[in-house]
Amino acid sequence: MTNRRDFLKLSALAVAATSGMPGFLARAATQAGGPKTLVVVQLTGGNDGLNTLIPYSNGAYYAARPNIAIPKKDVLTVTPDLGMHPALRPLMKLWDEGHLAWMENVGYPNPNRSHFASMAIWHTADPTQAEADGWIGRIAEKIGDPFCASNLGAATPQALQASEFSLPSIDSVDNFQLKLPGGMNTPFESLLNSPRSGEAAYLTRATRQMLKNTARVQENVKKYKAGATYPDTKFASQLRDAARLIAAGVGQRVIYVSLGGFDTHAGQRAEQDGLLGTLAGGLSAFQADLERQGLARDVIVMGFSEFGRRVAENGSAGTDHGKGSVMFAFGQGVKGGVHGSSPDLEDLSEGDIKYRQDFRGVYAEALTRWLNLDARGILGGTFTGPRWIA
Amino acid sequence: MSLTPLSRPLTAEDAAHFLRRTAFGATDEQIRALVGQKAQDVARAALAFDQSVAPGNPFDPLQGATPGAALQLGRGAWLYELAYGPHPLREKLALTWSNHFVIATDKVRNVPAVADYLNLLRRHAATRSFERFTLEVAQSPAMLRYLDNDQNRKGKPNENFSRELLELFTTGIGAYTENDVREGARALTGWSYQGGRGNKQYLEQPRFVYQPQQHDDGKKTYLGQSGALKGEDIVRIATSHPATATFVSRKLHRAFLADTPDDAAVRGSAETWTRTKGDVMAVLTELLASEAFYASRSRIIRSPIEFLVGGIRTLGQPKIDARSLLNLAGTAGRMGQVLLEPDTVKGWDGGREWINDTTLLLRMQVAAALTMGSKAPNLDTPPSLLALTGQERPAGAVLLSSLKGRQRTYLSLISPEFQLA
Repeated sequence: MTNRRDFLKLSALAVAATSGMPGFLARAATQAGGPKTLVVVQLTGGNDGLNTLIPYSNGAYYAARPNIAIPKKDVLTVTPDLGMHPALRPLMKLWDEGHLAWMENVGYPNPNRSHFASMAIWHTADPTQAEADGWIGRIAEKIGDPFCASNLGAATPQALQASEFSLPSIDSVDNFQLKLPGGMNTPFESLLNSPRSGEAAYLTRATRQMLKNTARVQENVKKYKAGATYPDTKFASQLRDAARLIAAGVGQRVIYVSLGGFDTHAGQRAEQDGLLGTLAGGLSAFQADLERQGLARDVIVMGFSEFGRRVAENGSAGTDHGKGSVMFAFGQGVKGGVHGSSPDLEDLSEGDIKYRQDFRGVYAEALTRWLNLDARGILGGTFTGPRWIA
Repeated sequence: MSLTPLSRPLTAEDAAHFLRRTAFGATDEQIRALVGQKAQDVARAALAFDQSVAPGNPFDPLQGATPGAALQLGRGAWLYELAYGPHPLREKLALTWSNHFVIATDKVRNVPAVADYLNLLRRHAATRSFERFTLEVAQSPAMLRYLDNDQNRKGKPNENFSRELLELFTTGIGAYTENDVREGARALTGWSYQGGRGNKQYLEQPRFVYQPQQHDDGKKTYLGQSGALKGEDIVRIATSHPATATFVSRKLHRAFLADTPDDAAVRGSAETWTRTKGDVMAVLTELLASEAFYASRSRIIRSPIEFLVGGIRTLGQPKIDARSLLNLAGTAGRMGQVLLEPDTVKGWDGGREWINDTTLLLRMQVAAALTMGSKAPNLDTPPSLLALTGQERPAGAVLLSSLKGRQRTYLSLISPEFQLA
């Protein structure tokens, strides 16, 4: 742990000089620690919840979707009324063990059908769209460590934006290291030491943080020994990097992974079926890996999409943007089952389901009962939701 | 109140600033050529581009063996034009519009459709009519495919294009209701294309078609106007809406003035936009000669493409072999900017979102390849600090000046100053 304290000291010095975040180190000292990690999976584009957790006993579902409904015979039954999409079969082991949770009918007040507005609402946890920072960015500020959460991928989502620093995006753990040409270390250090303001100061700060983050990961990543074979997808390789970061023990409390392509306006079955297969294949390998490493007790996964889709299919064998949808979570720390009641498909709002559970209640459960943080401070209010943490 | 023009003749830093913003960067010789000129003359000359292209482009997408290969060659061809073409401002505008009227080649995999779309962006780069530009984009097979309007039929509406037309291409959020989205979709029924469908037809030329039997000719109400509206009416009403003047002017300010534009300056451009009925050429001529433009220094974080092309142009356009150029286009993708393939229809947000640990590392690798690699150009007489950083005495000037050509250029390319425009 000496290493970690040194790291915090260094980063605090660098940040205190330039960012105007007094108390940064003090908060870090009181709140850092706690080995538990939350992995957030974003399904980008608006995943169709009704074809993910299927109300196979509901005639209204089949009436609304003559071409794209999942036939009853194909669903993976989980309750007398609900079943999982057949492509999610790799996750059935988790369900059978009681470690897979579905949160039914999740949304927020005044639903927005714009991808970007709705995604921003989930990222900032603010349906009024006044907040610019992300909820995970605020976690990092609360914990006081700019390397306690990271995104796996090229671009940092808004969820990980903090007001004065950006949490890291790691495209690949192997390439996450700096090799300056010979003799350039000292000049580079001097260059960064020149005083700057505005965006130039921001870039200097980001570069210094990167130097620390890369050094820390490379010192520790060798602790990982592969515990599972992952499918050959970008999504799965990012989950493998997530497992490596967790095994490295570099203090990651939140890891963010995305899978895109869920905007299925046309020809939905072919597209969504494939994506759910990619999702389940990657996640089940990740879970097997964690179990093999003895890390499974300390990691849970929570998945969401910016909205679900219209109940009725459109004329292109697809679905248009909708409102509420399902969320999922799994891991040994998760209380399996279906949490919340299913939407009434005969009582719709402009063709969409009426949400019953606020997503901020789902976040709050992860914040308070898994990460042991003050959800109220991070979410800007008190939200109660399903008790999905075991 | 429109924008106040710059009254002084251009200084060396003014000239470097203009070229960093409008030409991705430039050599010392190109900077010197603008010193002492009037801002209006400089802006007009830069905007007086034609449709000529760089000779000897090594990439021809039509030679691609598969759709994926062809689209990759297309990206190489565009990067070549960006780096070596005679009209960098036209290319900068085309890049800006590709981030406004977004399509993405992971969905649009037809080569002629993508080529036509890019040429449309070049032709209308500084368009005299935003309405005409929007109409041509709306009827381009690339857009019809990307936002599914080819699937939008009477009685079976598909709202995808209708929504983004308002939310992202014209008025922005707040000026319309869900009902406008639905009614717009009805009016846009029947616009489709023929040819070039399916993976095997990736080289076949698609063409816009209007299918009257698929068109819903009933009465609609759209943004307060009612009648048996057609697709052309929807484009006209949306583009001439007052919110569009501000929304699209802000995009131009994002591209040329600052990652976080000043509201007052945007209002100035919006007023010119409204007065000229969406004459983008007039808006740009005023903007690129304004005091606001010249006062806005180091307020844009260069995108990956701007970083790469800026490096190549500042170094005097050294020759880079075709394979390396293709690699660079791929590297831009790993830095978050695949040409013609933003992650979402909203386009790249840019600004600080370009910067994270991984992209910073990649920028440093590219800088090393351009200056230290085995194929790096001769840097015995390196670009001046002005050409590299836009400033005659940037942070670290003493240190940089003490280094030899290669080291100085490398360090400048990875400095915070070079990441900014």
